[in-house]
Amino acid sequence: MSPRHHLDEATVVSFAAGALSPEMRAVAATHMEGCAQCRESLAQAEHIGGALLGQQQAAPADAARGARLREAMLALLDAESAAEPPVRQEAAPTDPDALPRPLQPYFGRSWRGLRWRWMAPGVHMIRAARGSGDTLILLRIAPGKSMPLHSHQGTELTQILRGAYDDVLGHFGPGDVADLDNEIEHRPVTAPGAPCICVAALDAPLRFPGWLARKLQPLVGL
Amino acid sequence: MATHRTQESLSPFETARAMSSLEPHAKDASYWASQMAAVSCRRDRDCFMRIYDHYAPRLRLYLRGIGSPEAVAEELAQEALLRLWQRAASYDATRSSLSTWLFRIARNLHIDRLRREPLWVPVDDEPGWPDRDEEGDVTSAESHAEQVDLRRRIERLPAVQARLIRMSYFEAKSHHEIASELAMPLGTVKSSLRRAFIRLQLGVRGQP
Repeated sequence: MSPRHHLDEATVVSFAAGALSPEMRAVAATHMEGCAQCRESLAQAEHIGGALLGQQQAAPADAARGARLREAMLALLDAESAAEPPVRQEAAPTDPDALPRPLQPYFGRSWRGLRWRWMAPGVHMIRAARGSGDTLILLRIAPGKSMPLHSHQGTELTQILRGAYDDVLGHFGPGDVADLDNEIEHRPVTAPGAPCICVAALDAPLRFPGWLARKLQPLVGL
Repeated sequence: MATHRTQESLSPFETARAMSSLEPHAKDASYWASQMAAVSCRRDRDCFMRIYDHYAPRLRLYLRGIGSPEAVAEELAQEALLRLWQRAASYDATRSSLSTWLFRIARNLHIDRLRREPLWVPVDDEPGWPDRDEEGDVTSAESHAEQVDLRRRIERLPAVQARLIRMSYFEAKSHHEIASELAMPLGTVKSSLRRAFIRLQLGVRGQP
């Protein structure tokens, strides 16, 4: 099933430019694994990068240094012509227990290996070890649960892995991504049936308008 | 040379503009595709070294711009071009220009260099390119024409959009970093990048 909610083009541009934080990149790459439309946009954005690289005027180089590097490259070619070209590994068959590959550096390889922490009634979370400063979390929310109304001071990128939720923006199911910025205020409600599991990257703390949610915020640590 | 300012005083993007008006067609995408074809069919070292001489300094400049120290930029540029030699057989001119291919390799090498997680998957293996049938039958003639067209569209971007594109691609700045550096609302940064992207999409005809 193709996703119905996609990455913002501005996010795709930053992905192509290598300008997303590693945490945002992991979530965006997880979405792209299952989204042909966003992969096509990415190819477009990479063409822009290629055109910019091609147009770039080389800085006046240190001639001696440049010549040494050139010699080194010729030596590498000599060494290479003796060696066999590297064979690219085929992707392993899909293991239903495997986490999406872009998430594995942060959360391990398998669903079964996840160590969920209780956060609030019906809400479990795993926070990836601190990397670049952005926050990367896995959230598991029980079915039919309403999350506190909140907005964002920065960007929140959320990819639905299992289950579903609904908010003012619509219905978000597996494979959908919510690419939100500080203009959005929402109160996600998880769909009945199965828990909703999603991965989210945040570049700033969430903002909860309600007094109860504000009280919870320090406890939840978001 | 027609430029009177010294090259050091020009930003990469300004230089790119100056550059494209200096040699509009001498070394276009089809020229590099033909050099690359010789590399993959005949393992032609002279053609490879022509590619090397043209792109190595550009890759080093690009890598320094997005944050690699000088020595790392040199190392990664060498590595990117070596991969081009090693994987020449898998290069497909109908899917991307040579400069797009190199851009992608260099960017991925840069990202991989910054990562040290034990389970880190090299970005090279990330999903990226659309499957062939998704892209349709793009002939290489079309994609060369599109490259020239894309170059023209980049030159015609409004100043703010051009600046944000430059900060994204040449400095690897996030939306948030751009917003605080330019004292611009985050939403404006995103909508400007979105508009720039739409203007620069290939295969979308008839846009100013």
